[in-house]
Amino acid sequence: LTNDDYLDLRLRELLERVSADGLAPGGGSAAALTVAFAARLVAMVARCSPGWRDAVGVTAQANSISERAVALAHTDGRVWEEALTALRDAETAGGGDARRDFALEQKLEAAAAAPLEIASLGADAAELAALAGEHGDGTYRADAAAAAALAAGGAAAAAHLVRVNLGMRTTDPRLARALESEQAAHGFADALLDPSR
Amino acid sequence: MTEATRYAALPDSDLVRRCREGDAEAWNELVERYSRYVYAIAVRGFRLSEEDAEDVFQDVFTRIYTRLDTLRDASALRPWIAQLTRRRCLDVLASKGRELPADEMLTTEEGADLAEVEEAFTVRQALGGLSDACQEILDRFFARDQSYKTISAELDIPSGTIASRIARCLGRLRSELEGRNQRESGSRE
Repeated sequence: LTNDDYLDLRLRELLERVSADGLAPGGGSAAALTVAFAARLVAMVARCSPGWRDAVGVTAQANSISERAVALAHTDGRVWEEALTALRDAETAGGGDARRDFALEQKLEAAAAAPLEIASLGADAAELAALAGEHGDGTYRADAAAAAALAAGGAAAAAHLVRVNLGMRTTDPRLARALESEQAAHGFADALLDPSR
Repeated sequence: MTEATRYAALPDSDLVRRCREGDAEAWNELVERYSRYVYAIAVRGFRLSEEDAEDVFQDVFTRIYTRLDTLRDASALRPWIAQLTRRRCLDVLASKGRELPADEMLTTEEGADLAEVEEAFTVRQALGGLSDACQEILDRFFARDQSYKTISAELDIPSGTIASRIARCLGRLRSELEGRNQRESGSRE
């Protein structure tokens, strides 16, 4: 699927693609699209809040986050398919080929880059949702909370994929960054979902 | 304010006047201000190769230099440059034997790309009217796709205020664009 395909496919077709086979779109693309949905919800809340001075600026930011997330859905699908192919080749051939193992490791490492960005975008979408929940029209506060929850879910899923793709490298700074994004997103979502906290 | 910054703040009409007076710094600013515009029309609007776009670029700026005195309304510099560029692009396409639509009959896609180039240039000019801080934060978020966290860390701005700052800078950009539109429509009346 190309970047445009994600936007041009009917929702039914996109969902069928997700469940069709082991290829993209997979977990990373789904996480990215979840963040895109979250950002569009924030844009909706902002648009429906005429009394909010920053509403237009927040709408523009939310739309930008959504567009970036859709592009990442495509990127993640592409690099993940490449990594998957390399993984299957390695399984078929058996172990012991250092060059092939190195190539596989490189592919998996590349596959961690997109989810890292998705997690970061999830944190930004959740932050924007928190702003919308605080300053937006009260009628749409629940939508802002829903946006934050979706963004946090997308960030959590993406952070998990970073962890998996980096494998044993638990001290890799990218893993720490992904977990920071996940925690930040959850912090914003929790505050909106349970204001008593 | 440096000399270059002072010239960058000049409206087109003043820039044209200074160019006509032979001010070399004004010429530099004119080329700086419109070089990406001319190039974008050639490459994005007319799908020219880089080599052909370079030829168009050289030719258009030579024509601007030799014919600036023929421009009757100095505030209409941009549409004049756009027209020169479009004509030159069509000449290049004709010389390559490509079937030519009339200027007004560009394909929908090419027309949309040209409109996008115009819009991008308008926004870029309006950005120049904002404070350095606003230009910086908008560039980081919208052009460099930086996260709020990265912007906060690199500009040493408290996290949690970035989104609001961006929103306010966008508000100023909007006012700047509206002001420009009003000035432009006023100058045409």
